[in-house]
Amino acid sequence: MVKGGARMLDFETSAGNIYAWDDDTGFIIPFSATMKAVMHEAFGQEKMSKDDVIKKLKENYSEDQIAFCYDWINKWDMIRPKDHKCLFNQDISATSIKRFLLRDGLSQLILGVTEKCNFRCNYCVYSDNYEHARMHSDISMSSAIARRCIDYYITLFKEGKRYNPLRKPAIGFYGGEPLLNFDLIEDCVDYITNNYKEHNIRYYITTNGSLLDRKRADWLMEHDFGISISLDGPEEEHNRNRVYINGKGTFNRVMKNVSKIMEEGYKNIDSMPVFDWKSDLFKLDEFFNREDVPPVSRVAPVSRNAGSKYYQQFTREDYDSFQKQIRCARDHYFRNISAQREAERPSFFHRLFGDSMEGTFLGIKSLYHPHPMMPVTNSCILGTKLFIDVNGYFHACEKINYDYSFGNVDDGVNFERIRKIMSDYISHMDKCSSCKASRRCSNCYLMFMNTGGFSLSSEVCKEMENEVRAELSGLITIAEKNQWVVDGADPNSKNIRKYYGD
Amino acid sequence: MYFRLNTECFFIRGKKCGAIFDLIMNKIYALNQKETQILTLAEKNEPIRIDEEFLNELMRLRLGNFYLNKTYIQKLRLGSPQEMPGLPPKLHRAFLEINNSCNRDCWFCGYYGIRRSLGCLGCNKWNENGKALDIEKWKELIDGLKDLDCIDIYITGGDLTLSWKKTIGVLDYAYGKFNKIYLTLNQQSISSEKISDLNGRADLIIQSQELDNLNSNRFPTLSIVSPEEWKCEDSTRIKNIFNDYVIKDGNSYSKDLPMMSKEKFSSFNMHKFLNNFEYHPCLGQTLSICCNGNVIPCPMMRNHSFGNVKTEELYSIFERRMGDIDKFWKLNLDKIEKCSGCEFRYVCADCRALEEELTGKIDGKMLCSYDPVKGTWL
Repeated sequence: MVKGGARMLDFETSAGNIYAWDDDTGFIIPFSATMKAVMHEAFGQEKMSKDDVIKKLKENYSEDQIAFCYDWINKWDMIRPKDHKCLFNQDISATSIKRFLLRDGLSQLILGVTEKCNFRCNYCVYSDNYEHARMHSDISMSSAIARRCIDYYITLFKEGKRYNPLRKPAIGFYGGEPLLNFDLIEDCVDYITNNYKEHNIRYYITTNGSLLDRKRADWLMEHDFGISISLDGPEEEHNRNRVYINGKGTFNRVMKNVSKIMEEGYKNIDSMPVFDWKSDLFKLDEFFNREDVPPVSRVAPVSRNAGSKYYQQFTREDYDSFQKQIRCARDHYFRNISAQREAERPSFFHRLFGDSMEGTFLGIKSLYHPHPMMPVTNSCILGTKLFIDVNGYFHACEKINYDYSFGNVDDGVNFERIRKIMSDYISHMDKCSSCKASRRCSNCYLMFMNTGGFSLSSEVCKEMENEVRAELSGLITIAEKNQWVVDGADPNSKNIRKYYGD
Repeated sequence: MYFRLNTECFFIRGKKCGAIFDLIMNKIYALNQKETQILTLAEKNEPIRIDEEFLNELMRLRLGNFYLNKTYIQKLRLGSPQEMPGLPPKLHRAFLEINNSCNRDCWFCGYYGIRRSLGCLGCNKWNENGKALDIEKWKELIDGLKDLDCIDIYITGGDLTLSWKKTIGVLDYAYGKFNKIYLTLNQQSISSEKISDLNGRADLIIQSQELDNLNSNRFPTLSIVSPEEWKCEDSTRIKNIFNDYVIKDGNSYSKDLPMMSKEKFSSFNMHKFLNNFEYHPCLGQTLSICCNGNVIPCPMMRNHSFGNVKTEELYSIFERRMGDIDKFWKLNLDKIEKCSGCEFRYVCADCRALEEELTGKIDGKMLCSYDPVKGTWL
C-alpha cells in the first residue's frame, strides 16, 4: 500500500502543475493537492473507506476529485512492486556474479597502456585535485601483460557466448596518453590479427590528440579504430584546462591533427568534451557544429568524485551564473527540438540536453525491480567493464580508486573479491531504502570511495532529492508544452501515436 | 480545461476508430468515431469542453481526469524502451519436438498438410526426414536454453508415449531449470501411469478429437473443431477446453468464429500489450527445435529454418542468424498491412503460420472479421 506516499517525490512545474515521482514504480504521475490529501488521510496508519475520506475532506476539495483519487490510488497500488526493502538484504554469490558477467558483462576490455601523459589538465582525475586516485607516473604496460590480458579476455568471451551470443568483443586503449605507448598498441593489434582474427574485435582509443601525427592517424584509421578525442571546445575554452606540462595551451596542436582526419572524411571519430561552471555553453555548441571538428559523442561535467577539490575554485556567483546559462541553453535547445533530433550530426546541446532528457524519461527501468545484485545507486556490477592497469590488475573503470582491484592477469578475475566489495558498498548505502529518488540515482562507487573504504550514503547524498526535483520540474515544464518532445524519443512512439495527426 | 487519460490507459487509434486499453484492469473500451475524435484532441493536449459527457464518463470509469493546464502524462511501460547494443536475445519460449512418430492416422495431422489454430501446442507428425536427436543432445539443448535464460519450454511430438523413456529423461533433466514446462499428449495415449510418470513436473496439455471422450477438466485440452461445424454455443466457454480449429480456407468461415471475432482479444494483459509494440504476439521471442534438429520460428512454420543443432550450437544459430530470427520475432502487427490500421493491433492473437498458409504471404491477413477502414465488425 502507498502508505501516505512515503516514496513519492512531489514537484511543481512553471505552469503550477504538481506531479510526483513514484520511486516504487519508476513513473512520473500527475499529482494534486487533493491526491496528496487523500493519500495522507486514506492510506496513512489505518486505511479509511472512501465514504469516510470524502466526508473528512469534502470541505476543502471536490467530492468527485476525492473519489477519483481514492479509486485511482487503489488501482495504481495493484501494480506497485512489493517488498521493496527485501532487495537490500539479498545474498549475492561469486557464482551468480560470474554468470552475470559472462552474460551481461565483458562489454569492453580497456588496457591502460601507460600512466605517462604529456598534458597536465587541471581537472584530470589523476591530478592533485582528486585525493583518492592514482597520480601520473612514468610506468607503461609491457607487451607480455597486454597479450595475457587479451588472451584472458577472449577466453572469458568465448565462455560467455553461450549466455550471450550477440555481444561483440571490444578493446579500448587508455592512458595517461595511450599514444605515448603506440608501439604496444600496434603490438596488441598485430597479436589479435594473428591469433583472434575471427572474433572481429572492435578497437577504441581515447586520446588527447596531440600525438596523432600522419603516421599514427593513418594506422588507426586503417584498423578502423573508434577515436575519441578529449577536446573541450574553442581555443580559449579548451586551453583553460587542457595544458601541457609546461602550462601552455594544447588546442592548436590537437586541432591541427584532428582536422586532417576530418578532411579525410573518417567517420569513426568523436569528441568527448567536459565542462565546468566557467564554460560558455553557447560557444561550445557553435564550435562542435564545425565540419572540421569531430562530432560530440558524450558530454560530461568535470567529475565531482569523492575527494575532489576541483570545484573549490568556484564562487557562488559562478554557480548561479552557470545555472542561468544552463536554463537559457536548454530553452534554446528545446525550441528547436525537431531540427536537433533530425540533424545528421548530433550537436553539443543535443548531447547535453537531448541525451539527458531521454535518460530521464526512457532510461529508467520502470516497474521492474532494480538488479538484485546492485539494488542501490547507479553502480555497475564490478567487472562489467574490465580496466587493466599498467601492472596487470583489474579494476571496474579507469577512474576508480586502485584499492578496489578484483584480480590480475595471472590469476584472473576474483569473483569472490567482487562479491565482497559490492556487499561492503551496499552495506554503506544506508539512505537508499528511504530515498524517494533512488531509481533516478546517478551516483556510483566513485562518489563514495575513499582510501580503503566507502562513505555512508547518508553522508554523501544530501541534495539528491532536491536535485531530482529541480531536474524533473525543468523537463516536465517543457514536456507539458510539447509531449512529443518526450514521446518522440521512444522508438515505439510513432506506431503508438499513429493516426493521432501529430 | 484539459482532459488526459491516466498513465495506465493507452489510446490507440485505427484508421477510423480508436480504443482505450486499461493495462491495470485489463479492459478494452472500443470507441465510435465521434468519441475517437474527441479523445484524439484531448490526448494531444488540446483544450476540451468540461461538459463533454463522454469525457466525464471516462473520468467516472477512472480512465482519465480533467486538468486546468496542459499536462504531461507518462505512459506505463515495463523496463526501459531504450535498446542497448549487445544484449542477449530475449528468448521466452521454446518448443522441443522430442519425436516425430505416431501410430495413429488422424485426419487433422500436420502430416497431411492440415493446419490447426492451436497446432503449435498440439501433437503432429511431419512428413520430414532426418535422424532424431538423441537424449544427450536434448540435454545439451536444455542447458543451452537455460543459459540463454529461456523462460518456458513446450515438450511436444509426435506421440511422445512412443518415446516415453526419452521424454521422461528430457523432463527429468529440464525440471527446475525453467519457469514452466508444458508437455503435450494425445488423449488416446494417456493413462494414469503416464500421468504418474510426469509426477507434476510438467503441465500436461491434451490433444483431443472427440469432445464426448473428454474424461475430465483436469488438464487443458485442445479440442479439434471444424469451423464449418462450429456453433456459437459450442465448447469455448468450458473451462480448460480450447477449440483447435482446422483451417482450410479463411473465406468461408462464420464471422463469429472466436478466432475471427473479438474473442481474439481475450488474453489481453499489460505484458502482452506492451510486448506487442515491438514483437509479434505469438512468434515474438519464440523458437522451435524439431525432432531432426532444425530450428524454426514456430512448430507450424516448417519451411523457415534458421539452422540445425546437429551441425552447430544453439547459441551459434543466434549469433549467425539473429537478423533473420528478428524478421519473425519483430513482425509486429504494425508491419501487417491490414492490421497496421487497426486500433486493436496490440491485443490481437494473430497466427502467422495460418495466415501464411492461407494467403501465401508472410504478412498476409485473412482470419479477421473486423474492417478497420470502416470501423465495423463484418
